[in-house]
Amino acid sequence: MVQDGWHPTVCYQCKAECAILAKVQDGRVTEVKGNPKYGGKACVKGMAGVTLQYAKDRLTKPLKRVGERGEGRFEEISWNEAFDIIEEKLRSLYDRGEGHKLTYSFFPHSLTDPKWHFLNAYGGYINTGLPHCDSGKIVSEIKCWGGIPNHHIPPAWFTMPKDGIILLVGRHAFGCLDDACVPRDIMEAMDRGAKLIVVDPIFSPDAAKADWWIPIRPSGDTALFLGMIHHIIENDLYDKKFVEEWVREGDFDKVKAHVKDMTPEAMSAICDVPADDIRRLAVMCAEAPAVGVDGFKSIMLGQALDFGHAWSIFLAITGNLDNPGGQPIPELTPLSPVEPQPPGPPPLNEMGFHRTGPNRDAFRNYSFIMEPTWYEAQAIKDGSLKILLVTEANPALTEMGSKEWQKAVCMKDANGEYMLEFLLNTDIMLSETAKYADLVLPDQTHFERYELLYMPWWYNFGHGVLLRQPLVKAPGEAMHSNLVFIEIGKRMFPEYFQFKDDVEYYDIQLKGLGLSVEKLKAMGGKWSPGTMGFRKYRDGGFGTPSGTVHLYWEDLEEVGQQLPRAILAPEYDADVEEYPFIMISYRRIHINGTGPWSSNNAQLRDPASGQSTNPAILNPAAAAKLGIGDGDTVTIKSRTGELRMPVRLTEHIRPDCVGIMHGFGATVGRVAAGAGHCDNELIPDAGSHLEWQDLIGGEAHVSTRVRITR
Amino acid sequence: MHQLGLMIDMNKCIGCKTCVVACRNHHGIVDHENCMPGEIPFYIRVESLTEGTYPLVSEHCWVVPCQHCKNAQCVKACASEAIVKDPQTGIVRIDADKCAGSKACIEACPYNVIQFDAVRNKAHKCDLCHDRVVAGEIPVCAEVCMTDAISFGEVEMLRQTALDQGREIDRKKSAMSIVYLKPTPKNTLAGV
Ligand code: SF4
Ligand code: SF4
Ligand code: SF4
Repeated sequence: MVQDGWHPTVCYQCKAECAILAKVQDGRVTEVKGNPKYGGKACVKGMAGVTLQYAKDRLTKPLKRVGERGEGRFEEISWNEAFDIIEEKLRSLYDRGEGHKLTYSFFPHSLTDPKWHFLNAYGGYINTGLPHCDSGKIVSEIKCWGGIPNHHIPPAWFTMPKDGIILLVGRHAFGCLDDACVPRDIMEAMDRGAKLIVVDPIFSPDAAKADWWIPIRPSGDTALFLGMIHHIIENDLYDKKFVEEWVREGDFDKVKAHVKDMTPEAMSAICDVPADDIRRLAVMCAEAPAVGVDGFKSIMLGQALDFGHAWSIFLAITGNLDNPGGQPIPELTPLSPVEPQPPGPPPLNEMGFHRTGPNRDAFRNYSFIMEPTWYEAQAIKDGSLKILLVTEANPALTEMGSKEWQKAVCMKDANGEYMLEFLLNTDIMLSETAKYADLVLPDQTHFERYELLYMPWWYNFGHGVLLRQPLVKAPGEAMHSNLVFIEIGKRMFPEYFQFKDDVEYYDIQLKGLGLSVEKLKAMGGKWSPGTMGFRKYRDGGFGTPSGTVHLYWEDLEEVGQQLPRAILAPEYDADVEEYPFIMISYRRIHINGTGPWSSNNAQLRDPASGQSTNPAILNPAAAAKLGIGDGDTVTIKSRTGELRMPVRLTEHIRPDCVGIMHGFGATVGRVAAGAGHCDNELIPDAGSHLEWQDLIGGEAHVSTRVRITR
Repeated sequence: MHQLGLMIDMNKCIGCKTCVVACRNHHGIVDHENCMPGEIPFYIRVESLTEGTYPLVSEHCWVVPCQHCKNAQCVKACASEAIVKDPQTGIVRIDADKCAGSKACIEACPYNVIQFDAVRNKAHKCDLCHDRVVAGEIPVCAEVCMTDAISFGEVEMLRQTALDQGREIDRKKSAMSIVYLKPTPKNTLAGV
């Protein structure tokens, strides 16, 4: 398709979507590396994209289910037949006036994704297709300083000044979910004299490089930050100038009153970090020229909205907003809208949280912008989810409560019809989710398709857009899901689909930059002036209604979350006697996200280049008390599930925790099937334990209490 | 001898294995269609060592490619004279045409880095990206390393750089053409 040589494009071996160069030789991709025009690094998953590209498991034809859902029996059909089935199913729900009962689980490449255009025309909802999203952080940032809703914007570490502090909290930054340049940028900041501090119950690869590893009790992060806020305020160490000028009047005093008794000693009892250490960290941060905090994933410490809120307050009172090394607040790249713009579905909170069934009332303050996957099982039983479309996601394996999801999609009504009327899965290989689908469509890899990528977290390098472009031919009849939904859009909503194809759709969006796909290609696939702009609020204020930073949330007074609560996630606090350990679900660089593109890749599952399996990790001191030796097979039991699996003893984990790496337990895939154990087996499912869910931030729990026996 | 080599900074290697896969891709040693975990050859591997006990624990990673030894045991062991140390660059290379598949080199190599291709009945290994370096490029692993933990050059220069930076060389890891920089202590603020 293209000439031999190196071509700029964008990786999609994980959601970071790094700018890469791919080498093409005789019509085949042979090598990958980071694009020097955009940071210049790609990770091991990116390199292993070549193996994915040519894997035998690639789907090449549309498949229609012939057995029952879950059996995974299919027959090949033509694209025409596939399109007719999709159109008929989608029309039937739409014509009943129930378009809002459709959810599309996909990774939205910002507003540039044509699938989103379709969804807005149809009136359905999107969930991010991410196993455990960072909604708590997003919601807090919007509420506190009106940050642009986006996935995760870590500090731009390359702007970290000498003596600055890099604070990773339950965040595995060396696992590359932000960008493959992040590890290098952190190391270079350290060379300049910045300190790396890692707060995590597991000694991650990041912790191995840190100046200070703080092995916190899972879910104790909110208490840690509240203890620091207390110390900083009580000792007048806060940034008075910023607080006076930019924090909404009265808010600081409310915070001060709120944390009055949250002394380092009191918080230490919750988070199990010594009070002296809380004070020491607070003083270091207050005195540093800049502090950048990154949290959210990898190891989810629980109570996400409280944590996001505490962390936001901490950044504000230490003056670390939109400054070099601190928390960036991005601006939007001026793309053009594709007119006419479809109206979109009614706001989720106007729909009375239709995905929460019997818990509807409890969730009425729910404030996330997208729908989390863990509602799905509940919503199917409740009759409020009728069509589920899944692209580049794998809820049957990766979601907490995946067993309940599997059950729910197989449930039938009195007439013997599936309660979920239609389940479509587009993917490049069969996944666990595909086994349950009525229709599986062969998708294209990142080497085969066009995509205009405008990801706010690339704000790391200044705002901009990147072009993913086809370099090689897709096998068989594989078609990109964007083209599938442009075709369906044309059939169902021609008024909104007046463009020819994806390229023309992107051309319209690029007009705002005076560009087109062709021009962008000629420029090397990147538009970005490379500017971030620091302290932009000085010109126009913050994006909140008052233009200042809101530390206090009056809209959440009713649920008692107007200020962060110093509590552990309820499920970590309950039944301590019966379930003495906390199971932490963690991630590593090789298996980020558990779509088949990563879990079913031979190089990423190879012992020399990846992660072949996932024994539970346990501290030797804890194991000795239980009489467990290295390599023994143990039973790990939670309130809702049980696993028999081997343990590996290591000093890399707190003695009251057991770690299980996420991304294993598939039953399909030449490489993935049968390797390792699925952490979700242990996690309370969404259908039965919604009372432990964070009712506001919508964060899924990824860890829980367990008992370990031989 | 003008010896070329790599320098591995153990302060920087995060054990991500990006170099392993990039090296494989470049040298075309993966059968992407059919490969299965545990059966794919590799020219460079990651090792690691954990020290201390919780919570005062530390861990270091480093990579082990062919060490391009001065008195290479593999060269001595090969009866077919298929392995030579290139006088221009010091790179130890296996001439596939001459390799008779005896595996004597694999037995002899103290670093355990030689791979065997059973289909072709040939030994093969890291050649310090000979085709690239003679064309003025750096080896693939050094180019792609996520943290720039690997640098490339004449070994004498690499050693000088290490001294200039005040770093200590770990001579136990290799006394050959791969220079390992000892890590400086980490986690020093813990337990203060
Ligand atoms: S982090 Fe790795 S897999 Fe993810 S996009 Fe970047 S290079 Fe690709
Ligand atoms: S020098 Fe080249 S051949 Fe040797 S390990 Fe590095 S990339 Fe592989
Ligand atoms: S790419 Fe660099 S950091 Fe990663 S394992 Fe190789 S040498 Fe270490």
